[in-house]
Amino acid sequence: MSDVPPAPPSPATHETQVHEVEWQRLDPRMLLVHPIREVVRFLPVLIGLAVAGTASGGAPWQLLGVAVPVALGIGRYLTTRFRVADGRVELRRGLLSRRVSSTPIDRVRTVDLTSSLVQRVLGLTTLRIGTGQQQSDGEGLDLDGLPHDRARALRGDLLRASAVADAPGHPEGPAPGVPGVPTAGGPWTAPPPVPPLVTFDPAWLRFAPFTGTGLVVALAVLGGGAQLLDAFDVWQRLDRDDVPAASTVGLVVGGVVVLLVVLALSVVGFLVANGGFRLSREHGSWHVARGLLTTRETSIDEERLAGVALGEPLALRVAGGRHLQAIVTGIDRNQMGAATLVPPSPADVAPRVAARLLGDPAPVEAPLVGHGRRAATRRWVRALVPAAVVAAVLVAVAAAGGPWWLLVPAALVLLAAAALAADRVRGLGHALVAGHLVARSGSLNRSRQMLDVGHVIGFTLRSTWFQRRAGLTTLVATTAGGSGAVGVLDVPTEEAVRVADEAIPGLVSQFLAHP
Amino acid sequence: MASPVPPPALPTVPEPGRGTPALRDPAHRVSPRARVMWLLGATVEGLFLLAVLLVVVLVWGVSAWWLALLAAVVLAWVAVVPQWRYAVHRWEATETAVYTQTGWWARERRIAPMSRVQTVDYAEGPVARLFGLASVTVTTASAAGALSIDGLDKHVARRLVDDLTRQADAVEGDAT
Repeated sequence: MSDVPPAPPSPATHETQVHEVEWQRLDPRMLLVHPIREVVRFLPVLIGLAVAGTASGGAPWQLLGVAVPVALGIGRYLTTRFRVADGRVELRRGLLSRRVSSTPIDRVRTVDLTSSLVQRVLGLTTLRIGTGQQQSDGEGLDLDGLPHDRARALRGDLLRASAVADAPGHPEGPAPGVPGVPTAGGPWTAPPPVPPLVTFDPAWLRFAPFTGTGLVVALAVLGGGAQLLDAFDVWQRLDRDDVPAASTVGLVVGGVVVLLVVLALSVVGFLVANGGFRLSREHGSWHVARGLLTTRETSIDEERLAGVALGEPLALRVAGGRHLQAIVTGIDRNQMGAATLVPPSPADVAPRVAARLLGDPAPVEAPLVGHGRRAATRRWVRALVPAAVVAAVLVAVAAAGGPWWLLVPAALVLLAAAALAADRVRGLGHALVAGHLVARSGSLNRSRQMLDVGHVIGFTLRSTWFQRRAGLTTLVATTAGGSGAVGVLDVPTEEAVRVADEAIPGLVSQFLAHP
Repeated sequence: MASPVPPPALPTVPEPGRGTPALRDPAHRVSPRARVMWLLGATVEGLFLLAVLLVVVLVWGVSAWWLALLAAVVLAWVAVVPQWRYAVHRWEATETAVYTQTGWWARERRIAPMSRVQTVDYAEGPVARLFGLASVTVTTASAAGALSIDGLDKHVARRLVDDLTRQADAVEGDAT
């Protein structure tokens, strides 16, 4: 999102359907949303003011505490305007320091519709535009607060305008005459509803305890609760004599209760994040909708989907689940779960969707080439050496007169490391199949990444001295999407060169030395 | 996402190289003066480390043998790393691609097609200026894809930047 003065329009966007030429305000209903948001943001200050106010008995301070956020919200509404003109989306913000964000429509990669609970009650949506530029300031182009219908229409316009600009004569370009409802954005018409590829199934809730997000939510709630108790001095008021002495039964019951609470919280967190999940395809874009309270719809331009990553972390694999992430340009990486295509679900769902998204089941199903004995040795050494150090320390302490049971964790550490190494060896593999570079690695967080070679924008071959001695290289294909790289870990060097050469013919071959 | 490439036969386990072509080093070394610059950097780092060690020995009374041992390590570092770095650092630019090799213990070879080059940066750091050196950074659309080469003679670097800018401009597309 470049904050630059508007450049001359690109010729490609003349025939697009976007006509919101005048500078205009966002929806006036945001006048209700902004103050609520500001009040929530200022809540700690407000509570402080309220406490101070009751102490001093004065009302004016409390009024000020409410008035300032409200005024800020109104000010924000009055000073924000946007327009869609000359093939660009422009957003003007601020009163004292004015900033204009402007982005060409043909650079639009993803469009994201998010509605918080307050916005949903009022029928509003935030429209966020992703362009795939490296955003350093974190300020995306957000149209915060459009009526839901208008946001959807604008999204349709932006995506098809972008698609038309990218591919003239695209079969799915604007097709006037499709029956439907005319929208505010122009003559573009709403299509008949398309059946979604996959929708949320309550049975998926069983995967909640096996996901990181579920546990994070659970721990966050527990931590927050403890802090709240702390704030009200519950711990101090708790008289030690009132607490019965901890018995074994009590400890077990307590542990089970905590476990159940964590489980319940992780299920609720999963439901809030993924409830109402729906993946569908419209006008050459993939639409992912999810969220129970705050709903979020991400639209990914089909041409911009560089690839997918089939996530198979150890815990989820044990439970028989998989999830799917998009490798795509224009997704804000700071937002958790923004690239999720399929949340944790039974093992057959994500691969089926991946095959549909890639247009070919081969990258998902093809058997992978292993990396050989030397790569396996490296996995074992890297897992066992740190574990051996820990185990040696434990054994030394036990031998020097420490408690004998220290030998138990020492053995467990070694066993866990061996299991990890074995699983990592099993997971390691790659393939170049059906125009996709497929790479799989990892154990606790294993994923099978499938990247369209058309989206590869360079190669990195990294090898440490140890790797060079073993004849191994880590081949990294860089791409504009996702984390910017798909790595093939510890592949034999000749194979790395062969794969890179085959993926982009003519690039690597000029730097080869023929023996 | 559909690819024009026909589905190939299932892959087989790679045969270990027998006469398979290997990736060679890029053609050009960086300026020999870069060795001096890196030596200076390593020396300053080494002296600082030794000073810290000396303070540790004087204050806590650690055995001087430790100091001698660590000093030997630092000396080896100063003697070896700049030379190693110079041996590894190489670059090459052709009509269609940029190829760099950097690092020392971990060697990193990066290849980017000219059609994907987004920006070409030229920078002279304060120390590099003393030696008439400059660094060139070539960025692509990937967050992980920047190619950077330090220790170039500044005239060579200027010419490289001009060439790269001209060639990258000649290619159509938005480089994503």
